[in-house]
Amino acid sequence: MTAVVAQAVVNGLLIGGIYALVSIGVTLIFGVVKIVNFAQGEFVMIGMYISYWLATLIRLDPLASLAVSMPALFVCGVFFQKFLLRRVLGLGDMPQIFLTFAISLLLMNVALLLFTADYRTVQTGYTFASLRLGPLYLSVPRVIAFAVAMLLSAALEIFLRTTDLGKAMRAAAQNRDVAMLMGVNPDRVFSVAVGLALALAGAAGSLLMPFYPAYPTVGQQFVLFAFVAVVLGTLGNVRGALIAGLMMGMAESLGVQFVGADSGLIVVFAMLLVTLAVRPGGLYGGQTR
Amino acid sequence: MVALPLAVSNAFALDICIRVFLFAFIGAAWNLLGGYAQQLSLGHAAYFGLGAYTSTLLLIRAGISPWIGMIAGGVVAALASLPIGALCFRLRGPYFAIATIGTAQALMLLFLKFRDFAWGAVGTTIPNLGNSPLMMQFAGKAAYYYLALGLLAAGLAVTYWVERSWLGYYLVAVGEDQHAAEAVGVNVPRIKRDIYLVSAFLTGLAGTFYVQYIYFIDPNTAFSFNVSVEAALVSIVGGIGTPWGPVLGSALLEPASALLQSWLGGGAHAGVQLALYSVILIAVILWRPTGLLGAVTEVYARIIGPARPPASPAGGALRKGVPLDG
Repeated sequence: MTAVVAQAVVNGLLIGGIYALVSIGVTLIFGVVKIVNFAQGEFVMIGMYISYWLATLIRLDPLASLAVSMPALFVCGVFFQKFLLRRVLGLGDMPQIFLTFAISLLLMNVALLLFTADYRTVQTGYTFASLRLGPLYLSVPRVIAFAVAMLLSAALEIFLRTTDLGKAMRAAAQNRDVAMLMGVNPDRVFSVAVGLALALAGAAGSLLMPFYPAYPTVGQQFVLFAFVAVVLGTLGNVRGALIAGLMMGMAESLGVQFVGADSGLIVVFAMLLVTLAVRPGGLYGGQTR
Repeated sequence: MVALPLAVSNAFALDICIRVFLFAFIGAAWNLLGGYAQQLSLGHAAYFGLGAYTSTLLLIRAGISPWIGMIAGGVVAALASLPIGALCFRLRGPYFAIATIGTAQALMLLFLKFRDFAWGAVGTTIPNLGNSPLMMQFAGKAAYYYLALGLLAAGLAVTYWVERSWLGYYLVAVGEDQHAAEAVGVNVPRIKRDIYLVSAFLTGLAGTFYVQYIYFIDPNTAFSFNVSVEAALVSIVGGIGTPWGPVLGSALLEPASALLQSWLGGGAHAGVQLALYSVILIAVILWRPTGLLGAVTEVYARIIGPARPPASPAGGALRKGVPLDG
């Protein structure tokens, strides 16, 4: 029994690394630009399709295609900020929610038109490999995904703590107006923040590709977890999002193990509702603009 | 408009009209909460589905007429809005929207699990009794046309009533600035609860009408995310927080999507409809966030003469009367 629980916890932790990457992206955009990006999951989907097509057409390993998907999505993010998000900054909830929501719908449906609803998978040499650790089995592609996710999160944290641009970003997250008075260039900071957030989503997509199918609505699987994780971990807080992302992974895995195979989402919604009912003020409900 | 079914016997054209009225009605229900009070729900499918399932369960399990079932469905939806609202209204803005998506999805998952009680994922067809008006079943589309038109008229009447009552002023105050509204003594939680109740009730009626019209129900149809999206979409495209905004939005979007689908030939191009909707939504938000109704009245004013004041932003008709100047 303990072995079963331990296995479920470990499995959840490994996929939780991916949830953490997506959640960090959502929380980074929210922290700096003050917009909840409903389309974050669709950028994971784009990252997956980039890796899928590179693997299918030129036989590039999905992990190697990180070197393509992350820069490509960083550039996407810069354009996303410059041409779309910038136009609704400070306009209130309605335009902000429905702009990113419409982009999410558009990307999903364009993917459906281009690539059909087929599940597409990439088989790598290590797709079915696993490590044995005492009584536990660890799937190799998931371990790699988790390790790279943690490395990227750590790199982001170091970037935010040590570089001037990172500090400017944190300053803008804490108080945008004062940061601007101190000489922070908001356009540049916003573009880099959105670019980084989308690069993390792209990385999540490439890391998923060796063991998870790509399909047009795949992003929805991840973005719902990310939203709940971001509420749990306090909005705008990168470490909070990381820890809450890992927790969501474990909660989902335990739910699937002990409640039923199709109950992953139910567990997520239950966590969301319980959070709202028990600690709304401590998380987000108390601090609105 | 009332005489149209007498002149037009084309079933396709009548079907488009029925969809226009139905989604204008759902949009009007959404607009009370989303437009006037600015509580942007993306989960109105929850109430649509509850209305649809309530009347269908009453019809099939107890033989009760959908006319009664429709009211019962509205009441069930309204009652469900109380606990859902109590939880979701703890959140603001985008997180309220996400939580409402969550509730609609959770209800869909729940009804997928109700295999014996509510036919699970398979769904059921509504028994066809031929032409029996007492059971809300009609031989031709004309009767459905009038019924949908009646629903829309009721939705507009409720909107006008709310707009002119004290509730309307409070709603706009809540929509503009909740803290300011509270500061001047508006009971914000109560106002939100009350309008959510009305909005959910009306959406429940639409759910019953829809299953009676298409003769089929399953969780994916009844709690379809598309319903939640279209409810918000028709209002935003037409003009959020105005009585006629959802009507204009629905009159533009529903025919466009129906024609596009028939032109492309149905299932082969799944995704075209939502792609089109999302492009229209992006364009409206970037260039005319107050909706197209304002553009229409502006053009009208330009043609007729400068006598009319220029179009006002969302809720503008009310805003001038809001006791919040101080």
